[in-house]
Amino acid sequence: MNRKRALISDTFKVKKSRNGPEKFGVVCNGNGPVDVKSSLEYLMTLFPRKLFNDALPTIVLKHQLYSLHNDKTLVDKEVVRWLLSLRKKHILVIVMLCYIVICHVCASQNKLREQAELLMFQLGFDTEAFGLTFISDYKAKVLAGQEGKVTRATVERFLEKLLTSSCTDLSFSKEKMLREFLFTDSEITQLVKSGVLTVRDAGSWWLSIPNSGKFTKYFIQGRKAVLGMVKKSKYSEVLQAELEERRTIAQVKFNMKYHIHDIVGADLVESIPTTSGALLRFVES
Amino acid sequence: MLGFLTARQAGLDDPLRLRRAESTRRVFGLELNPDRDVDRIHGNGINTIDIEAVEGRYMLSGGSDGIIVVYDLENYSGKPQYTCKAVCTVGRSSRYVHKFSVETVQWYPYDTGMFVSSSFDKTMKVWDTETLKPAEVFEFEGNVYSHHLSPIARKHSLIAVGTKYPKVQLCDLKSGSRSHVLQGHRAEVLSVRWSPRYEHILATASADSKVKVWDVRRASGSLLDLDQHKGDKSKASTEAVNTAHNGRVNGLCFTGDGLYILTTGTDDRMRLWNSATGENTLVNYGKVCNESRKKLQFAVSRGCSPEFVFVPCGSSVAVYALHTGELVTMLRGHYNNVDCCEFHPDYQELYSGGKDCNILAWVPVLHASAVEDESNSSNKDAASQPSVNPALQDAWSSDED
Repeated sequence: MNRKRALISDTFKVKKSRNGPEKFGVVCNGNGPVDVKSSLEYLMTLFPRKLFNDALPTIVLKHQLYSLHNDKTLVDKEVVRWLLSLRKKHILVIVMLCYIVICHVCASQNKLREQAELLMFQLGFDTEAFGLTFISDYKAKVLAGQEGKVTRATVERFLEKLLTSSCTDLSFSKEKMLREFLFTDSEITQLVKSGVLTVRDAGSWWLSIPNSGKFTKYFIQGRKAVLGMVKKSKYSEVLQAELEERRTIAQVKFNMKYHIHDIVGADLVESIPTTSGALLRFVES
Repeated sequence: MLGFLTARQAGLDDPLRLRRAESTRRVFGLELNPDRDVDRIHGNGINTIDIEAVEGRYMLSGGSDGIIVVYDLENYSGKPQYTCKAVCTVGRSSRYVHKFSVETVQWYPYDTGMFVSSSFDKTMKVWDTETLKPAEVFEFEGNVYSHHLSPIARKHSLIAVGTKYPKVQLCDLKSGSRSHVLQGHRAEVLSVRWSPRYEHILATASADSKVKVWDVRRASGSLLDLDQHKGDKSKASTEAVNTAHNGRVNGLCFTGDGLYILTTGTDDRMRLWNSATGENTLVNYGKVCNESRKKLQFAVSRGCSPEFVFVPCGSSVAVYALHTGELVTMLRGHYNNVDCCEFHPDYQELYSGGKDCNILAWVPVLHASAVEDESNSSNKDAASQPSVNPALQDAWSSDED
C-alpha cells in the first residue's frame, strides 16, 4: 500500500508518540468537568479521626487535590469558589410616598443559595501547604472542645462573625479584629488561648485549628517516613500499589493513601503511568 | 488540518486562524533533530542567546568564558542536514574581549550592525559587528547581571542595566552617557525587560523577591510592585511587603503582545501577571525547578493559539501552556543545566544553551518520510547524495545545455 502521508488523528498532535496521551494503569478522571467536591470528600474519608479522639475536624491539604486532577489552575479556582459564600443578602427597599410611609421589605433570596462550605488554613510548616476543612465540621469540633471553658462565649462569637462576614482570610490583623469584629484586647487573648488564632506577626494572627499541633507533628513525621521509603527503594522508585501494600512503620500514623496523595500533589515524587500501574519516583531537589 | 485549509479556502475562517493552527501544531512537534546542529565553539557554559528581530537569521551567544559568537541559522545548502556555522567570534585572542563571563547579549533591535554585551567584568560593551570592536564601553561598580534595549523604542535609545547594586541604571546609546537611575530595589537586580507594547515601560526583577514596573519618564518611583497574594495580605507570612515570589526572582519575560509578564523565582514557582494592573492571574504551573543564582532566560512562543512558555528546568526544557498552566512536554537532550532558551517565531524552532557547552536546536518534526523515498534511495548506488526534498530539486535545467 502506498501511503504518502501518515494519518493524522488529531489536528495538533502530529505524531502519536509512544508514551502518548493514553495513561494506562492510572485512574483517569480528566474527561468530565473538574469535580472538586467529590475528590475532597474522598480525601476526607482517608483522614484518621480516631487517632485524635475525634477532637479534630477532618483536614485535607489543598495540594492533595492536585494528585487527583490534572489541571491545577482549575482546581484552585474551584476551591476558591467553594470558599466564598454566594449568598445574596436581603434587599431592603423603603419606598416613601407623600402621606404614607411604606416600608417595603423585599427579601429576595437567590435560588442558587450556596453556603460557604470550606475554610482554608495556613498550616505553618510550608508557605504553600494549605489545609481545608468543612465549615460545619470545624464549628462543631471547636465548640465541642470549648465545652465548660471560660472562653466559650468569645469563641462562639468569633465563629459567628467569621461565618457571616463571608471572609476568606487566612489571617487577621489587629485593626481588623478591633474595628470590624469589635473584639477587645482581652478577648483576642482568649481566642489565642483557645487555639482559634495563632500568632503570626506583631499584631496579626493566623486562623488555626485548635489542637492541631499533634496533627502537624504526625503529618510531617509520616511524610518524611513515606518519602524515605520511596527514596530507599531500588532506583528511588516504587509502584504505588506496592507502597500501599507495605506494612506501615510505627512513624506513619496516617493512612498510606493520604500520604501518597500528599507527596504526589506537592511534587515531591513524580507519578509515572506504567503498564503495572502508577510508579512513584523520588524527585531530587 | 485539512478542515482548516478548506475553511480558509472557502473564506469561512480568518487567514490568521490557519497560521496559528499550523504554528501550534509545529510547536507540539518540537524534537531534537539529527539533521540540525549548531557549531560548537564555546569551551565553557553558554549563558545567553539572542536571535535578531529583523530577519531571524543571525544568532548571538555569550558564554562563561567571555566569548561571543555569531551564528548563521539559515539553511541555503538545499540539504536537510545542516550545521549552523559560526560566522564570527570575539574570542580570547581579541584585544577587546570581556575578561569574565558574558551574562547577556542582545542585538540592536533595528539591524545587525551592532550588538550589546554585558559581563561580570563590570562592563557593558557596544560592539560594531563589522569590525568586532567595541564602539562604546560603559563601566559599572558591580557585576552586570542583565541589560535590555527596548525593541520598539522610537523616542529614546536607552539601555536598562541591572547590576549587583540595587539601583537600575539607564544608559543612553546615542550620547554614550548615563541617563538616570531608578531607585527602589533593596538587593541586586537580576533581570530587566522593556515592555514590547509601550516604549517607556520597564520591568525589573530583583533578589529581594520584588518585581517592579517602572515608567522611565517618572524617576520618582516605580509604578507597580507585583504582589503574589493579589492584595490579600492574609496569605503572606508577614504584613509588611508586596513580594512577587518567596525567594529571589531571577527570570522575567513579557509575552509577545506585552499584555502579560511571566516571572520565575527560586521558590520553584512561575507566575503570570497582568502587565497593566500588576494582578496575579493565579495560573498554577506547579513546581518549576529553579536553582539559578543568576538570571534565567526563558522564552514565550509567538503566533500560536495557546501560547507556550519554554522554561529551562534543570537539564531539560519544560514546555507549559501559558494560560492553563499545563505541562505539555519536557524537552530532554542537554547533558547539564540549561541556562537559556530562545524561540524563533518564524520557524517555530527553539534554541537552548547550557552548561554542557552545547546549543541544541529543537525543530518541529512533521511527518515521517514516505515509504517510497526510502525505496528510491536504496536503488541508487552507495555514493549517492542524501535524499533531497523534491521541492528543492532542480526541475528546470535541461541536460542538453
